[in-house]
Amino acid sequence: MELFLYTALFAPLAGSLFAGIFGASPKNIITGLVTSSLIFLSFVSSLFLFVHLYNGGEIVHVEMMDWIMAGDLSVPFGFVVDNVSSTMMLVVTLVSTVVHIYSMGYMEHDKGFNRFFSYLSAFVFSMMVLVMSDNFLGLFIGWEGVGLCSWLLIGFWYHKESATWAANEAFIMNRIADLGMLIGIFLIYWNFGSLQYDEVFSQVAETDTTILTWIGIFLFIGAMGKSAQFPLHTWLADAMEGPTPVSALIHAATMVTAGVYLVIRANELYSLIPEVGYFIASLGAFVAFFAATMALVNRDIKRVIAYSTLSQLGYMFVAGGLGAYWIALFHLATHAFFKALLFLGAGNVMHAMDDELNIMKMGGMRKVMGWTAILMIVASLALAGIYPFAGFFSKDKILEVAFDSNHYILWGVLWVTAGLTAFYSFRVVMLVFFGKERYKDFGFHPHEAHKFMLWAMSPLAVLAIIAGFFEHQFYNFVTGVLPHYNFSEEIHHVVGQLILVTTGIALTGIGIAVFSNMYREGVFSTVLQNNFIYRFLDNQWYIPKIYDEVFAKPYIELSTLLWNRVDVKIVDATVDGIAKFLHTTGEKTRGMQSGNLSHMLRWVVAGFTLLLVLAVVYTYYSI
Amino acid sequence: MEHILSILIFFPAIAGVLGFLINRDGIRIYAITITMLEFLISLVLWFQFDSSQIGIQFVENIPLIPEFGVGYFLGLDGISLFLVVLTTFMTMIGIVSIPENTKDMRELLLTLLFLETTMVGVFVALDAILFYIFWELSLVPMLYIIGHWGGEKRIYASIKFFLYTFAGSLIMLIGMLVMAYLYFQATGIWSFNLLEWYRLQLPVDYQLWLFGAFFLGFAIKVPMFPFHTWLPYAHGQAPTVGSVILAAILLKMGTYGFIRFSLPLYPDASVYFITPVAILSIIMVIYTAMVAYAQKDIKQLVAYSSISHMGVVMLGIFALNPEGITGSIFLMISHGIVSGALFLLVGVIYERKHTKMMSEFGGLASVMPRYALIFGIMMMASVGLPLTIGFVGEFLSFVGFYKISHVMTILGGTAVIVGAIYMLGAYKKTFFGQVTKEENRKLSDLNFREYATLIPLTLLVIFLGVYPKPVLEPVDKSVKAVVSIMHQKAITEEGKNTIPLIDLSKEIK
Repeated sequence: MELFLYTALFAPLAGSLFAGIFGASPKNIITGLVTSSLIFLSFVSSLFLFVHLYNGGEIVHVEMMDWIMAGDLSVPFGFVVDNVSSTMMLVVTLVSTVVHIYSMGYMEHDKGFNRFFSYLSAFVFSMMVLVMSDNFLGLFIGWEGVGLCSWLLIGFWYHKESATWAANEAFIMNRIADLGMLIGIFLIYWNFGSLQYDEVFSQVAETDTTILTWIGIFLFIGAMGKSAQFPLHTWLADAMEGPTPVSALIHAATMVTAGVYLVIRANELYSLIPEVGYFIASLGAFVAFFAATMALVNRDIKRVIAYSTLSQLGYMFVAGGLGAYWIALFHLATHAFFKALLFLGAGNVMHAMDDELNIMKMGGMRKVMGWTAILMIVASLALAGIYPFAGFFSKDKILEVAFDSNHYILWGVLWVTAGLTAFYSFRVVMLVFFGKERYKDFGFHPHEAHKFMLWAMSPLAVLAIIAGFFEHQFYNFVTGVLPHYNFSEEIHHVVGQLILVTTGIALTGIGIAVFSNMYREGVFSTVLQNNFIYRFLDNQWYIPKIYDEVFAKPYIELSTLLWNRVDVKIVDATVDGIAKFLHTTGEKTRGMQSGNLSHMLRWVVAGFTLLLVLAVVYTYYSI
Repeated sequence: MEHILSILIFFPAIAGVLGFLINRDGIRIYAITITMLEFLISLVLWFQFDSSQIGIQFVENIPLIPEFGVGYFLGLDGISLFLVVLTTFMTMIGIVSIPENTKDMRELLLTLLFLETTMVGVFVALDAILFYIFWELSLVPMLYIIGHWGGEKRIYASIKFFLYTFAGSLIMLIGMLVMAYLYFQATGIWSFNLLEWYRLQLPVDYQLWLFGAFFLGFAIKVPMFPFHTWLPYAHGQAPTVGSVILAAILLKMGTYGFIRFSLPLYPDASVYFITPVAILSIIMVIYTAMVAYAQKDIKQLVAYSSISHMGVVMLGIFALNPEGITGSIFLMISHGIVSGALFLLVGVIYERKHTKMMSEFGGLASVMPRYALIFGIMMMASVGLPLTIGFVGEFLSFVGFYKISHVMTILGGTAVIVGAIYMLGAYKKTFFGQVTKEENRKLSDLNFREYATLIPLTLLVIFLGVYPKPVLEPVDKSVKAVVSIMHQKAITEEGKNTIPLIDLSKEIK
């Protein structure tokens, strides 16, 4: 089994290095093929490991070599494949394979083709390190590695100012959260003496709750950065500057779920600190709603999907925070499938529209790209949580958990959000694929994507439809290592009503979008758009502006001030001042050395007198 | 090789004297060969170093002034070993990096060889007077390098560098004399032998004063806030090779001094001064990172970033536990390699365009992709990305200091954020965006000489980031020995509690 583990882990790295060799050379389809095959190989190995575990096999745990050893700290490169990590590996490699193959079509005219595949495979490698590591610091390697690849890929078109700006924003914002995570790791080390998961988690039960609470908080700060939770969320929407396959893989299906994964991985810890869990759940519910409101009005197809990702991450944190770890993981998996599908569909649309993102300029495109329309509708239905699509099963479970644990406010927020989600998903579908063909007015000539790109997307489509039916098997599998979530008796009586109510609001949301004249006809009311609430949402609650005014600009000003005023004018000027003082003193007193004998004798007398006085004073006091 | 340390010290200087006989055309090859040989000798030293042993190795001791206990006393442990190897390695890289058309090439190369002698001497001297001699002598070649081969304000910068550090060292010298006198009072014999000084237990008030005297000498060298302002001038005016050596090695002499002298000689004072030192270090981390962000000249930016990183080193040292001190030493090595590489990289564009202003560039990633790649790797190492050399030391320093104070670690830990801000900002300005200046389109990518210097550094950055053990293990052992001395010597309750007790028997295999 170790061979499969190493293959799954290192095949993407090999692919990345291979493509990297040709990084600066012109497009070569071979780099695409080689990296895609190696990712597929990694997928197959992950599948083997998954099947091995599914059939009751032993957890695979290897220690490859030592990494950092100092003082009492000892951190190896260790990897563990258990039920949780193998699920993650399967999801990651599956979506990665699809995205790699798809990208061969999407990036076919791009100068940086080889470089792109190098970065993309490097990302998969980092992500695998993140999910497979058997200790917190190894996870941190992957954590920073995906951050680096995200930086490279958001800023992939580095000649664009907006892209490099967004890349730096993402990196720096994640770094803020990473500091929290590092502090969590320091706390773990000094309290448990180890960073290995098994050694830490075997001791949590006997540890003081205050310490656990602090650890839980700091680790979650790390999770907030990677999973773009409020208030560290602004980078995710800006990250849409990257090529769309990147958005599908990194900023929807995998990397942004790393925070959720961390909470799931540390479930033994979080189970003991329900207050922190409740905070996580509340923040998650808030983000779910908050992001959905911004998606309601946005005109950029990718940003709408990005906000929906943010919103769904909120759902996952609700489940994780309330202790339903397996449900969080389940939603993570189904979401990865349908959200990646949605993004890749958006990629087809963008390609057809020469990288135009404004959905107001689209409309009626189902006539030219029927298959893409079908795939995106499937993904949107899954996202909206309509039976029998995958999202229905996982999202409904989260609502059930919120209701069952008597968190009715959380439930209410999530319930409203479910309606909003359905509405904005179908708002996009209507504006892009139905109604008047507005793109003609702007002179676009859309066309369907390559066949193989559509085929590449098909596994995701199938999974978006059927994944939900494997809920039971999934539950049995992951609860091998994750705690069961025990629903109360009463919930069984109301579960039917709950499903009805939730499906009801989702259908209402879809209905409003589908039957609204505005979206069908493409006539937009300026009265509505000048409304305060509309503008508030359209400006993303004014948060990016606030950050810019409160943090970014003052930082620049303060930096310049510190340099010009403090460092040069105070600190350095003091040093020079001392030197100048000595210099002028010397200049002034050099007159004493006149060489005139009578002059010198007078000084001798003066010095002698002074010494005498000192001697007298000294003897007087020492007696 | 019985006298390997003496050979290591004096070989470059002797070769430097002989160098005056060499023809100007052959001098470059000659100097490269000498530094390569010197590097090889240091590798032999590493190879012969017995890492199962805790104490000082390769000892040479010849009395010079027996009446006052001054001797030619050399020795090496895991801490100094890697600083010596770093010195020989970076001097070699620095000499290779010198462009062929440099004026007065022979004099520059020979000055560098003399400089190498003094630097190696500082790291292996175990006699205080000998240490002081090498410490001060190292100023002279650097004074010449900045003053003769520097930029427009080179005279000002070099004199400032010399006088400032010299003033600090004089106070340190007084501290050394007092220390020897106290030893004389306690034992009846004069000695400047550091290992004998280690055995002397001093009352706390003496410790505080002596700590202060040594502190000034070391802190100016590091340089700690607010004694740092000589550094931006020195870097700004120094030629590339001068900046490389200055950042990679000369600054490390200060932090090395803290570990070799201040900590084991004055454990209680070290504990007493943790908070003030930490506050200065935190100011170094945050304040200089912000000043770095405001820079328009990329070389100044790297210079200020050095100060910021040395702040983290200081935090690691004053963690006073093996995790922190080992981390700080590793960070010294990694900072030596990374900042050296960054100065070389700045030199690459300076040589092509004769400007270091970031506004003159932009979009270089498309013109010089390989240069951009290596710069990117070094930038990530500087930012402290895991699996690069920069992470290991930074992480360990912070882990160590976390034991001392939660809040101060969080404040110092902002290094990971502010470091990313100025580094990514500089990278964006220089490499991303459109090519704004037409003439920049014709800039050539790295040439053979530049590859020869940058590729070894890049490989090291990744290798030691993935597998730091060969360096960490010997360092950690010697650090534990130092910490153990400190714990034994500490008089106060607080000192005993702060400095952990180390079971050295575990370390001997």
